[in-house]
This record gives sequence, structure tokens and C-alpha cells, in this order.
Amino acid sequence: MNFGLMRKAAIELRGTTIVFGLAMMAGCGLLGFALPRFQARIMQRMAEMPFLQEMRSAMLGADLGNASGPEVPFGIAWSHPVLLAILWAHGIICCTRMPAGEVDKGTIDVVLGLPVSRWQLYVSETVVWLGSAAIVLAMALAGSLIGMRLAPPEMRPELSRLLIVIANLFLLYASVAGMAWLMSSLSDRRGRAVTVVLIVAVSAFLLNYLALLWPAAKRVQFLSILHYYRPVFPLRDGRWPVGDMAALGAVAAGLWAAGGVVFSRRDLSTL
Amino acid sequence: MALNVPEGSLFGFLGPNGAGKTTTIRVLLGFLRPSSGRAAIFGKDCWRDTRQIKADIGYVPGDLRLPSWINGRKALSIFSSVRGRDMVRHGSELAEALSLDLSVKVRRMSRGMRQKLGLILAMAHRPRLLILDEPTSGLDPLMQDVVREQLRGLSRAGTTVFFSSHTLSEVDALCDRVAIVRQGRIVADSTLAELRRQAGHEVMIRWRREAEPPVPEFLAINTREPRVWHATLKGEVEPLLRWLAGHPVEDLMIGRPDLETLFKRYYERSER
Repeated sequence: MNFGLMRKAAIELRGTTIVFGLAMMAGCGLLGFALPRFQARIMQRMAEMPFLQEMRSAMLGADLGNASGPEVPFGIAWSHPVLLAILWAHGIICCTRMPAGEVDKGTIDVVLGLPVSRWQLYVSETVVWLGSAAIVLAMALAGSLIGMRLAPPEMRPELSRLLIVIANLFLLYASVAGMAWLMSSLSDRRGRAVTVVLIVAVSAFLLNYLALLWPAAKRVQFLSILHYYRPVFPLRDGRWPVGDMAALGAVAAGLWAAGGVVFSRRDLSTL
Repeated sequence: MALNVPEGSLFGFLGPNGAGKTTTIRVLLGFLRPSSGRAAIFGKDCWRDTRQIKADIGYVPGDLRLPSWINGRKALSIFSSVRGRDMVRHGSELAEALSLDLSVKVRRMSRGMRQKLGLILAMAHRPRLLILDEPTSGLDPLMQDVVREQLRGLSRAGTTVFFSSHTLSEVDALCDRVAIVRQGRIVADSTLAELRRQAGHEVMIRWRREAEPPVPEFLAINTREPRVWHATLKGEVEPLLRWLAGHPVEDLMIGRPDLETLFKRYYERSER
């Protein structure tokens, strides 16, 4: 780690962190407020149209039948595609900065001309990204808590259960970020790295969605990282999804480490 | 490529575009891994020990780009943190010498201003070795003189200055040693004085009459116009003067070739 590099990265990520943090806060606050409030109406519609129930199951990653506790609206809120898209976009922006972003901007020669090893650079950037991610997720939690205060008391999940969901969500986010680190290390073009990660993330999302509607996709559902993120269960049971979290953690750590190895060994300079 | 740069020298690394100057510099700085062979600075391997080596190096890339949000003061402060050395004080002195306002953000700087900031960031930690890729491009002639004076001062203080350029007049004015690179190979590596000595004298003879004498063995004619010869003298000046004494000479110039002529000659020779 190098304090100077971390300072530079923190300054460069300051705006991104605030914008994405506010977006997550607003999104979580709105969903936390609205979904419990309209829970009864949603249940009624689902009874009328069974297809809606399948849609809900696909979004939650589980078939909950007629369950109507707080785990349903908050399960939907914490796996909502808009929130996942915001969070992943934050990860992709942060984790493709070095080296692909610096090569693209033409500033890589100045950075590599400093007396730091490539691993120092990589770890310093990673630490700043982790800090930024922590702020964004904390703001999401704050938004959710504010929204919850406006929901009926029986529809408010316990804070400890929300924290489990956030830990699981962080590991899901880190898996996408790990892919972004690897693609950034492999590429000289940030746009190319971003495109590949987006394709992988959207494919994972679609696969997970299709698996509940199409039996053939169910056989390969384990390949989707979203298969390991089902917030409805910790919200309902209060239990840590250890297996799911371990799988996501291994994917994230493996991709990040692979990115570091590539970054430390490859030829790099301004194009 | 075998290249030895004596400590404390002002070393010019010459070659046209595509000759391999920037690639060599990138190998030296550990950006690129050599496909074969080994590059070393201060006796350390440029790829493996790049971090330790760069602690004593200042570098200005040819196409210098800095983060657009940064200003000179913040850049000095961040570079100080990265290097673990105070660069602010000496950096401010250099900024004063180069007339650069450190409060201006890079996005508002002209190319020349960015180049000055790059030079300040490369010199402010008083490196043992300064590697500059086309250092004065983008600077006006007056500022080029200031930069050259700074580089001479650094060299006098013991810093080795290694810089690539294709501005031959600049190298001629500044360097005490040069290497000429062509297609990734060194075709000349010597002091300028030695290169000039090896190259012989350039001679221009204007004859008084149309009827010119036969060319003597010690002259190699480069160009021949009516009544005017441009030639290279092989050996000493004395035989030429003795020979000319018996012929109708209107005008005569004898001198050592400039760097441009030397450079072209080395290139032509290595092409043959």
C-alpha cells in the first residue's frame, strides 16, 4: 500500500462515491418505503395473475408461495435490478480505473514512473475502492432504514438481518468488481473492459432469471453469481448464508488475485 | 543494445521516430519487460528491482499527461507522499525558476505549462538520474534555455541526465555524450568531441576559375556544384592546405561537422 497513491485515488473517486451513494440511498429509501406499503395490493394482484408470482420468484431467487412477511418486500428491494445495476456500475467504474483507465487517459506512464511496485499500486487502488464501496453500501443501508421508519411496524425487518443481506450483497458486488479488476488488467481500453464485465453481469442476471422459468437453464444456474444471493432467506430466518457467501467470496478473491498477477507481469505503457 | 551511461553525464539518446528511443526508456523504467537480455540501472535489474531504482529516478514521458483535476501544488504534495520525501520546497523553487504558477489546474494549462510541471515533478526530489523523453518539446525558445540551464546545474551537482531527442541542436548545445539508435540498435556511442574527431573535417572550397583541379586522395567529395566543392577531409588539415596553395582558391571553409551532419552520416553508414 502507498498512502500517496491512495490519496490520489480517493480524490478521483470522491465524486463517484457521493453520486452512487446518494443514488443507492434514494433507491433503497424509496423501495423500503413503498414496497411494504403496497404489499397487500401486490399480493392481491398476484392471486389474480399467477404469472406475477413467477416473476416475483424469479426476482427473489426462491418460490415463497403465499408468504407475506417483511422478507418479501425487503427481499424484492435488496435484489431489485435497478439497485443492482447502480451498485455494479459503481464497482465497474472504480475497478477499471487501474490500469485500463490510466492507459486510456495516457497517465499510466506518470503513475508507473513513481517508485511503487505494481502490487502496491493494485492494493492501494483496491483499498480505496473498498472504502468507496463501504460508503455506498452504508448510504444504501441508511436509505433503507429511513424508508423502513415510514413502513408499518410489522413490516420492518430486524437490523441484524439487514446487515447479513448487506454482507451477502457486498460479496455479490465484489464478484462483479473482481471481474472488472481482471478485465482492466487484461485490457488497454477501459471501454472494452467495461463492455466485457457488463456482458458477464447481464448474462448472470438473465441466467438466474430464466432458471426459474425454464428447466434447461436451471441445470447451469450455479454459474450465475446471482444464484448465491437470495436476500429473502436471511431476512426470513436471520441465518448467515455461509455457503453462498463463501462461493461469492472465492469468485471475488480469485478474480481479483488473477487481475493482480496479470497487472504485475504484463507490459504496460501509454499507447 | 549495449549502452553505458557515465554517472553525472548529460547523455543524449538520438534517433528518428520509430528507432526505439521510447521503447528503450520504457524498458529502463520497468514498463516493458525485455524480450531478451537485461537492462540495469545503478547495478539493479530494471524489471525486478524497478521500485528501488525509481526512488532515485525522475522521469518525464514524451507525451506527458497528468490528471486534469490536479494543480502543481497538489501534485507536489501527492508525489511527496508517494515518494516519502519532501518535494514541495524544492518544487516551489523550480516553479519560480521556470515561471510556473502552481495553483493552476492541469486542465487549464497549455502544453508548455504541463511540460514545465512534468519537469518540476521529475526534478523536485533531486534524483540521481533524470530520464527525459523529448523534454523541451512544447516550450518556447526562452524557456528551453532555462530548462537547459537547470539540466546543466543538475549535471554539475552530480545528477545523470539521460534524454532522448530528435532536436539535434539541443543535444549539440547540451550533451557531452551521445548514443545514436537505429532500429533498436546502437550505431554510435561516444562523446560528441570524439564523434566529430572520427568524422573528420568538413571542407568547402570555392574555385576562382571554372577549370577545377583533379580531386586529391585525401578529399571525399560530398556535393559538387560549378566552382564549389563540399567535401570531407580524410586525415589532417596540413596536406590540404599545402595542396590548395598551388591552386586558384577564392574562398575556403574548414570545420568540424555539426551534429546534424554526423547524425545523417551515421544513419547512411548503417544503412549501407
